[in-house]
Amino acid sequence: MGRGQAERLMPLLQEMLAETGTPVAALDAIAVGIGPGNFTGIRISVAAARGLALARSIPAIGVTSFDAFAEGSPDPVLTSVAAPRGQIWLAGPDGPFPDPVSPDNLPEPFRDSGLDVIGADAAVLAGQTGGQVRDPQFPFAEAIARVAARRFGTPQPRPAPLYLRPADAAPPADPPPVILP
Amino acid sequence: MHPQPAPFALTLLGIESSCDDTSAAVVRWSEASGATILSNVIAGQTELHAAFGGVVPEIAARAHAEKLDLMVEAALAEAGLGLGALDGIAVTAGPGLIGGVLSGVMCAKGLAMGSGLPLIGVNHLAGHALTPRLTDGVAFPYLVLLVSGGHCQFLLVEAADRFHRLGGTIDDAPGEAFDKTAKLLALPQPGGPSVERTAAAGDPARFGFPRPMLDRPGCDMSFSGLKTALLRARDGCIAAEGGLRAGDRADLCAGFQAAVADVLAEKSARAIALYLERAPEQPVLAVAGGVAANATIRARLQQICAASGLRFVAPPLALCTDNAAMIAWAGIERTWLGLRDGMSLIARPRWPLDTSQAAMLGSGKKGAKA
Repeated sequence: MGRGQAERLMPLLQEMLAETGTPVAALDAIAVGIGPGNFTGIRISVAAARGLALARSIPAIGVTSFDAFAEGSPDPVLTSVAAPRGQIWLAGPDGPFPDPVSPDNLPEPFRDSGLDVIGADAAVLAGQTGGQVRDPQFPFAEAIARVAARRFGTPQPRPAPLYLRPADAAPPADPPPVILP
Repeated sequence: MHPQPAPFALTLLGIESSCDDTSAAVVRWSEASGATILSNVIAGQTELHAAFGGVVPEIAARAHAEKLDLMVEAALAEAGLGLGALDGIAVTAGPGLIGGVLSGVMCAKGLAMGSGLPLIGVNHLAGHALTPRLTDGVAFPYLVLLVSGGHCQFLLVEAADRFHRLGGTIDDAPGEAFDKTAKLLALPQPGGPSVERTAAAGDPARFGFPRPMLDRPGCDMSFSGLKTALLRARDGCIAAEGGLRAGDRADLCAGFQAAVADVLAEKSARAIALYLERAPEQPVLAVAGGVAANATIRARLQQICAASGLRFVAPPLALCTDNAAMIAWAGIERTWLGLRDGMSLIARPRWPLDTSQAAMLGSGKKGAKA
C-alpha cells in the first residue's frame, strides 16, 4: 500500500468486520503479521493490534511472514521474503536464516535440499534447491489468522516486529576529547 | 471558568511517544476538584541511545512500538481504573519522530476501536503549551516559552486551540545545543544537567561567546552559531594543551550557558512587551520543556518577570519534559471544545501550532517544521 497505511488500517478493519457482521467484541484474539518486511508498516499493525488486544482483554498473536507463506503446506518448505537491495530473507523447516542473501546464491543448508519454495524469487530459489515452486495456500492476512488460530490458547509473547537486523546507527565519528587532570 | 464545563467530570488517557520517552497517563478534571493527575508513567530510552550521541530514530521507533501498551496498562493500573471509566483517549499525533508518533497513534486507535471511546489527536507542542493550565490553572491569554531539545518558541496562548507564535529559533533548539556541548566536552548525556553542573565552577566571561540575533529586532533566535563557537574554543584549548583541562571545560560550559541564558532573557523581555500590548488581566509567563530546569536560565526569567509585573509559572520538571499527562490534559481541553478525531487520524512529523504564520523552519514536500 505504501503511504497511507496508518490512516487506512482501522477503517479497513471496521469495514471488514461490518461486512462479515462481526462486532469487535466477538473477537477472541487479534493476529498480526510481524514481518520481516517494511519496518514502519509492521510497527503500524503491531502497535494497533496490541492496543486493540489490550482494549478487548484478548491476546494479540504475532505471526511471521514465513509462517504465513508456509501455512497449509503439507510438507516442509523453504519460504522467502523480499529484503532491501535485491536480497531476500529465508526460512527453512528450522526457522529463519540469520542473514539476508542474494537470491542467486542460496546458502549451503538449502542448496540441493529438495525443498519446495514459496515466496519472493521462488523460481530462482527452486532451481537451486531442486524442488518445485509453490503458491501460498491462502491470502496473506487469512494465513496469518489461521496460524494464530492454531496457537490460540497457548502462551504467546506480545507481538514484536521481526527485524532480523539491528537498527542502522553508527557511533559518532568524532571521538571525545582527552580530558587532562 | 471554562467555556463548556459540562459534563462535570472528564477522565482521559494520554499517550506520548514523539521522541525518546514512551509515556501514558490518566488525568481527571472535575468541577469539584479541578485537574488531578491520577497516573503518569514514563519509560525513557537514554541508555539505548547513549552510544550514538543523540536520539537514533529507528532505535526510538523500535522501543516505542513494544512499550506503548505496557505503559498504558501501567497508567491504568496506577490510576486504579479500567478503560470503561474513561471518557476518551488522547494521543500525540505530531510533531516528532514519525516512527514513534505512528506507533502511539496506532496504539491509541486500537484502544479507541476496542473500547468505543473517542479518539483525540493532540499536537505535542499544544501539550507543552497548555501544561500551565493543568498545573496552575492559568487563564488565557498567557505567554509560554517552550524551550526543549527539539523546540524553542514563544507562544501566546489565546485558547486551547489558538496559539500565536511571537518568535522562535531559526535553527537549533537550546536543549540540543546543551546535548551537543556535553558531547563535545565528553560530559554525560543528557547534556542539560551535566553542562549545568560543570558550569557551576567555571568563568562565564572567559570565552566571550556570541549572543546570536540580539542585534536583530523581534523574538527570533539562533543557537547553531553558538555550537560552532564552542567547538572552535574547545579545539583552541586542545591545540594549546594537547587535551582539555577540567578548568577549560568548566569555563566552556559556563560561557555557553551564559550565552543561552542571555539570549533567552533578552528575547523573553521582547516577547513579554508584545504580550503586554494585549493588556492581559493576570499576566503570566510560563516555561515548558526540559531546558526550563536550568537554574541559571530560570533565575534570569524570574528576574524579568518580576521586573515586568508578570507571574512566573514553572511546572514541575516531570511535567516540563515530555510526558503523557500533558497530552491527556490537552485532550480534556479539546473535549471541552467539542474537538475529536476519527480512525483516519494522521500522524504528522511536522505540525506547526501557529498555522497562520510563515514557516520558520523547514519547507518543501515535508512542510513547515515550526
